[in-house]
Amino acid sequence: MSEERVIDGRGLMPPEPMELTLTALDTLPDGKELLLLLYVEPHPLYGILKRNGYTHRSQSRPDGTVEIHIKKA
Amino acid sequence: MQPGLSFEQAPPISVPFRFFLTAPLFGMAAGLLLLWQGPEAFVSRWSSVALALTHLLAVGFMLQAMCGALLQMLPVAAGANIWQPRLVTQFTHAGLTIGTLLLVAGFLSEMAIFFRIAVPFMTISLGAFALIVLIALFRTPAQGPTIISLRIAVFGLVVTIVLGATLASGFGWQLALPLTELTHVHAAWGLGGWSLLLVASVAYLVVPMFQLTLPYPVWLTRSFSVTLFFLLTAWSLTWLPLQRPDGLQVALACAAALPAMAFAAVTLRLQAQRRRKVTDPTLLFWRLAMSALVVAAVAVVLQQLNPGAEDYAGAPFLLGVLLMVGVFMPVISGMLYKIMPFLNWLHLQKIGKPGLVVPNMRQMISEPRMMMQFKLHLAALVLLLGAVPLPWLVYPGGVALIASCVWLEWNLIVATRNFARFSRELEERLAQEQAG
Repeated sequence: MSEERVIDGRGLMPPEPMELTLTALDTLPDGKELLLLLYVEPHPLYGILKRNGYTHRSQSRPDGTVEIHIKKA
Repeated sequence: MQPGLSFEQAPPISVPFRFFLTAPLFGMAAGLLLLWQGPEAFVSRWSSVALALTHLLAVGFMLQAMCGALLQMLPVAAGANIWQPRLVTQFTHAGLTIGTLLLVAGFLSEMAIFFRIAVPFMTISLGAFALIVLIALFRTPAQGPTIISLRIAVFGLVVTIVLGATLASGFGWQLALPLTELTHVHAAWGLGGWSLLLVASVAYLVVPMFQLTLPYPVWLTRSFSVTLFFLLTAWSLTWLPLQRPDGLQVALACAAALPAMAFAAVTLRLQAQRRRKVTDPTLLFWRLAMSALVVAAVAVVLQQLNPGAEDYAGAPFLLGVLLMVGVFMPVISGMLYKIMPFLNWLHLQKIGKPGLVVPNMRQMISEPRMMMQFKLHLAALVLLLGAVPLPWLVYPGGVALIASCVWLEWNLIVATRNFARFSRELEERLAQEQAG
């Protein structure tokens, strides 16, 4: 099980969560996962991740939170 | 910020900006028409002036901004890619801009030739826009209430276009059509089946995102658009010739007002309970719009339940001002103040690289300037509502509407100029670093 770093973007004003995520990905070691918590699906981020060699999987919690797990492909 | 991260999926910044910069010009034109015609403008909803005013606001301002926002929002927020965005932008923008001018010229001059040109021109350009957007919405892998509601809303736009084209053909070729009935249904689809459903679809996404509220309750996002769509369809059918079940028509109109009221009330409640009590101009615009929507929904119910209301010529003006100046123009203004700075930021990121700080969203349009427009718009709403019983208020109301739109236009121009300035500065700094 890989260790996760967490960014809780639920109380932050866009584009702060995206800025924090992109900065965190700069220093994310291979094999580790970044977990982003939001109330929406971040489609612009998905496109950026895909084109830059990251994979993600997202799932919704009952309270409406979307969990986005990101790691290097 | 990110080495080599690509952001190409957002369409060119000129795609939405041309719509946003054009919309306030039609708002100003509506204000000028009010000043030119004075109290005459509010005498009858069927007058040429009233029809011209309605289309300056509904097509020139509202639809213009909504199409631009939708073209931008689909790829960014819904993961839906538009076919040939530059081409679609050009013909949609031309269709809306020239189309509005043709319609207004047709209404004011009462010359059939303008409608004869407007019908094919607007039907093809707006019809193609709706079709391309619908295809993108059905092809996107994204799911959720926003996507489903957007599909229904765009279908509502198609219904509005078809009815509008039929009405305009009636004017253009002197066809014997049931103009009154068609106009009621056309207006209801334009304002309810398209505009309100679009606002709701967008609200599910942007209200929690930008106003830091809890998500909308699932019961509302699942049922609102579908319910309103079916009620509107059923209500529209009661207007068919040879069929006048008056009681059913009243009941359906009242029933359609209830989901609108529920959506507005839920939005106001979510905003009141937001986690960070930051009050910015966008929040104020949304709260004004949702309050006006509650009042408009109550007005619809009262109007339906009171048989004498039909004789009061002011009733449609109250509703029209409440919905267009009170609900949709404020939502659009508030959203533009988020969309334009966000797009500036997103596109500036493309130029950026590690260590090069991109200006943040707050530096794109100053908050006091946005707040000033909010105050001007609130004044325009109050004065124009007042002009229904007190016709002379149409003059200060028209001036306030022009002032609000001039202020909005200027704020959007400032955002556009700031984008150009920040881009230049970033490129210069990049060039200096590379040279050094």
